[in-house]
Amino acid sequence: MAQMRILLVEDEKKVADFIARGLRSEGFAVDIAYDGDTGWERASGANYDLIILDLMLPGMKGTELLRRLRRQGGTAAVLVLTARDGMDDKVENFEAGADDYLTKPFAFAELLVRAKALLRRPPASRTHVLRVADLEIDRLSQQVRRGGRRIELTAKEYALLEYLAANAGRVLSRTMIVEHVWDESFESLTNIVDVYVRHLRSKVDDPFSTRLIQTVRGAGYRLQEGPEP
Amino acid sequence: MNTRSLKFQLLGWYAGVLLGLFGLLGVSTYWVLRSSLAGSLRENQFRRARQIGQLLREEVQRGDEAGVGREVQGRYAPDLNDRFVRIARWDGGLLYLSGSPKSQSFDPAALPPPRWSEAQWSAEVEAAREVPLLGGRRMMLAGHPVKMPGGSLYLVEVGAPMDEVQADLRHWLVFLLAMLPLVAAIALGGGYVLVKRALAPVDRISSSAERISSQNLSERLPVPHTGDELERLSVALNHMIERLDAAFQHSRRFVADASHELRTPLTIVRGEVESFVTNDQLKAEWRERLGSALEEVDRLASIVEGLFAISRLDAGEAASEWVKFDLAQLAASTADQMALLAEDKKIRVTCAGSTGTWVEGDRARLKQVVVNLLDNAIKYTPEGGAVFLEVKTENGKAILEVADNGVGIPADLLPRVFERFFRVDKARSRERGGAGLGLSIVKSICAAHHGHVEASSEPGRGSRFRVELPHVRPGAGHNPSQHKP
Repeated sequence: MAQMRILLVEDEKKVADFIARGLRSEGFAVDIAYDGDTGWERASGANYDLIILDLMLPGMKGTELLRRLRRQGGTAAVLVLTARDGMDDKVENFEAGADDYLTKPFAFAELLVRAKALLRRPPASRTHVLRVADLEIDRLSQQVRRGGRRIELTAKEYALLEYLAANAGRVLSRTMIVEHVWDESFESLTNIVDVYVRHLRSKVDDPFSTRLIQTVRGAGYRLQEGPEP
Repeated sequence: MNTRSLKFQLLGWYAGVLLGLFGLLGVSTYWVLRSSLAGSLRENQFRRARQIGQLLREEVQRGDEAGVGREVQGRYAPDLNDRFVRIARWDGGLLYLSGSPKSQSFDPAALPPPRWSEAQWSAEVEAAREVPLLGGRRMMLAGHPVKMPGGSLYLVEVGAPMDEVQADLRHWLVFLLAMLPLVAAIALGGGYVLVKRALAPVDRISSSAERISSQNLSERLPVPHTGDELERLSVALNHMIERLDAAFQHSRRFVADASHELRTPLTIVRGEVESFVTNDQLKAEWRERLGSALEEVDRLASIVEGLFAISRLDAGEAASEWVKFDLAQLAASTADQMALLAEDKKIRVTCAGSTGTWVEGDRARLKQVVVNLLDNAIKYTPEGGAVFLEVKTENGKAILEVADNGVGIPADLLPRVFERFFRVDKARSRERGGAGLGLSIVKSICAAHHGHVEASSEPGRGSRFRVELPHVRPGAGHNPSQHKP
């Protein structure tokens, strides 16, 4: 598969740097523009698969850049970053042609998940059976086995485990889990995640010798075989 | 009645001044009337005395000094006319004394003798005096000295009881007293109407001022266009509210700007540190410490989010959608989502509610109200406790109640639980996480939905939070522009 090209338009140098670093380590080719005009020059001059666009830019504003890009027929997916979470801004940017929206401060993992979704790159596995170590998840029958032994899960526990397994090896933040599993975005609901993870562990990990569901302090959870952090 | 109110005081002064004026008028007319009536009576007596003096002169010149008595008796018959006549000589001789009057109203012999000096007699200076009679009655006594060419001196005194004068004065007094209640009624009634009319704008101004709080500083007081002091007062108050509004907006904008500005550095810190906590090549201890730092970044971020949300809600920019929905259903589904949280602490959540409690507003925001209140209740209820969630309609209001049988809140701290960053038990709540903004957000959301929230508690037995929202007819109303608070 050809390398995906991402244009990052972000005036905060440090923000741009850590995003670029993270994306490059995931194997993307990243160009950075630190102001709106340069951003527009790059966006209109080359073919990018994804543009990650900050709204508050020196020079041309992000919304204006987005509008021009769409008027010109640019098809790149656009992920908007903003420090504002005003609903009006959100509507305005979707109307201008944004594909997704992320409010600062965000977890890089979240940006990555959204970026990948926009790039329509198939997730790690589209196969109907997910395998992590001796854990097996059948997405069709929604059955979970570990070491060949069947594990009964509630619907929410299953959704959580499937989300972790589909992103195996990647840290998922509580916010991401709440949004994915509960389809809600609530800061106050994130402590539910801990309870569900504990329940899930008692069924998936505790009866076995190795633990698969790992807690990454300060970041979230991940499903992975290997050394416990 | 509030005796210190301006209305009462003005009315008191008005009625007092009016009644005082009436009293003054009564007293002065009484005295004017009295002196006028007495004066005319006195003049009559002097005239009669002068006539008798003339008679006396003629009789003395004719050498018949005693004849004057007959003459007076014959011409004037004082005893029949209730009059008093006395003619005396300087050396003490009494020439004539009228007889007891027919009415027996006075005794001529008992009347006091003249107290005139010789100088007065010889200078023929007339003088009148009032003499008290029995039973409070009075007599007007006019004296007219007569000096004969031979040098002998006489005094003619004529008197009449002042009964008629006293009767007239008494009538006037009765009239004045009879008028008093009427005047008092007019003073009080007129004063009341006047004061009420004058102060009605004050009542309007103060009741509108009462309604204005930090939530609706854009409202203004009614300005009566009367050109008077009240117009100036309400204009001045409006200017003051304008300045307050500006100050509040300034502080809200400051909070919004500050939380906005904090997001970029937070993003950077989180982004930089995050790459380390997921880096398995790093020593576990380092990852642990960086993870701890990241947790604090998260807490900082959630404080910033909360402050930003409150400042937007308070500025009235909260609602992103405005729809009608069933509050009971929202509460039930939210409680269901959070059930595991309660189960984990062996807390029983009872959800009672009549479906069909429709409210209108931002569904996500109102869900946050339910989440925050339930989360709070579960947090502060010990293991094995119970949490009750109820949604009902009461007096046209949609009510959401969340009660628990947990630790409760001391009475003196109860009014402060909705303050930003306020925690009842600082140590414990920090350990349980949370920025101390949850209830402030609940309060701001309720206010943005034209409702309110209140807390009650019995320490040791539990707390109860009650949210009141306007109840609406069910329907799929969706009109954000019209209803944006």
